[in-house]
Amino acid sequence: MTNRVINPDILRPSAVSPLKVLLCSLPMLILTAFLISRGSMPVEPLKVVAFSMTYILINGLFFLMIYTGKVYHYRAILFITVAVAFIIAFGANLLEERGSMLLRTENTLAGDAPFCHLVIPAIIIPAVVTKTIIFPGTIIDRFASISGMLVLWLGASVALGRGWCSWVCFYGGLDEGFSCLCRKPVIKNIADQWRYLPWAVLLVVVLVSALTFSPAYCEWLCPFKTVTEFSAITSFKILVQTIIFLLLFISLVVVLPILTGRRIQCGLFCPFAAFQALTNKFNIFTIGINREKCVECKRCVKGCPTFSLDTVSVKQGKPLLSCTKCGKCIDNCPKQAISFRLKGIPVGVNTQSAKILFLYPAFTFAAAVGGGFIYGALIRVLKLITTGSMF
Amino acid sequence: MVQGFFLGLSTGAVCLAYCAPTLVPYILGEGKGVWQTSIIVAQFLGGRLLGYLFFAVIAWGLNCSLVNQLGSNEGAIGVIYIILAAALALYGLANKSALCAGRSSTWSGLWLNGQRPAMIPMSLGFLTGLNLCPPFLLALANASEFNQLSQSILFFFNFFLGTTVYFIPAPLLGTFNWLPAFKVVGKLAAAITAIYYLYTGIVMIGGGLLL
Repeated sequence: MTNRVINPDILRPSAVSPLKVLLCSLPMLILTAFLISRGSMPVEPLKVVAFSMTYILINGLFFLMIYTGKVYHYRAILFITVAVAFIIAFGANLLEERGSMLLRTENTLAGDAPFCHLVIPAIIIPAVVTKTIIFPGTIIDRFASISGMLVLWLGASVALGRGWCSWVCFYGGLDEGFSCLCRKPVIKNIADQWRYLPWAVLLVVVLVSALTFSPAYCEWLCPFKTVTEFSAITSFKILVQTIIFLLLFISLVVVLPILTGRRIQCGLFCPFAAFQALTNKFNIFTIGINREKCVECKRCVKGCPTFSLDTVSVKQGKPLLSCTKCGKCIDNCPKQAISFRLKGIPVGVNTQSAKILFLYPAFTFAAAVGGGFIYGALIRVLKLITTGSMF
Repeated sequence: MVQGFFLGLSTGAVCLAYCAPTLVPYILGEGKGVWQTSIIVAQFLGGRLLGYLFFAVIAWGLNCSLVNQLGSNEGAIGVIYIILAAALALYGLANKSALCAGRSSTWSGLWLNGQRPAMIPMSLGFLTGLNLCPPFLLALANASEFNQLSQSILFFFNFFLGTTVYFIPAPLLGTFNWLPAFKVVGKLAAAITAIYYLYTGIVMIGGGLLL
């Protein structure tokens, strides 16, 4: 029997009174009602139940985040839930629209492929050079259109920087979920050089996409094809691609996160993550490390899910460019030396205000994207339970 | 003969796109300044010119028939891709500052660790020159009209000059040498590009095996 020690800090309420927290959560209560319902409140009993469950879950987590002062724990719950809900909702949508999760040639020709943010780095050079978006999706129509996703990504990038990867990305929760399964990592030491792998993958993906005029990452390297949309195996090439997707998913999203306790796909492979890290340059929110309080216990370095802290960066009082603002280092720090910070404001000053200022846009985007998926997935599951069919 | 230059000029962007996955990781991996990067690019282009001239001779000698067959034979291109993959993998992984734990003391290790540095970009350039990219196939089709070897060589040389215009900004990648991380990124990218070419080569060779 393993002894699991629950960090008592996770359960300890902050000094803020519940009434103040409730008042602080009030704008989010109103905002999420619109975001989840997309402006029209449900009337069907089943949808009302699904809506209520989603609404309570999201706002409950936000309340607890403010009340306990612990960001990572409750964010992770939401993030993992969103990833699972995404797979259910997305898969069910595809099954309803196409009758299959397979992407066939006719779907590609019809521009029927849902656009996802992971493609964005690959489409830039061809878009600039030829004014062509090298993706078989639609610009404005249908589910997950190119323009819709680009607008969402631009907004979230301005507001959160690489915070996208811990608050908005609907794939990252899978990686995070598996990384949380193992309390004591089997693989502890990973060479620093591997942190540059996402940049190398990004470089190759961008160059090869410009060469082939096709989204190279989607075609060859996306592990999430295994659980979302995949091509019908009609050739030797697609067979090889499918094997690659499967191997990458098992290794990068399941096995290695379990063995290391880190988000390996997000931290050491995803080219979009490297690309998104650049947005941290102009994003106003960051993490600050108070050197006066820091005792160099390295809990933050060992715990960072995306390898965004090392001993050098801790000494400099700031994370690396790849920081996803997940809040784990803040929760892990025994001396409260780490906090959210607004650039330009000294470390350790107005940390509570900085946290609230960050949590609002972060949670709004999380609720806008994730809330819809949770709501959609719950409707499908409830339908399945009550009628025996998801559709 | 001017036709070769203009053909190169009009299709050179595609040549650049074909060469970039090989050249860019190499330049970054070397981490040199702009001037030294210019020399690397010149060496790479020299290798590429050799590749072109190699085909110019073959095109003249065989009146293009075999070369045209090569162009339509995915298996042959697949083999070239696999050789290129091996060269890139050697560069990316066998280099002394790469991630691989083992250090090579073999001839290849010495060669890659700077004993004969000019050979690396030249070899990569030569192999990309043999890539049979669409502009190159166009040039081959044109070259098949010439009866004399000198005409064929001159045509390919002019074609090479036309495409080279697009490589002029390449040395500017040397401005990234201020950050040592780019060296690691470049070497890792070379290894990943090797996987891409290996994969493409295997798929091309096995392409006939439709399921």
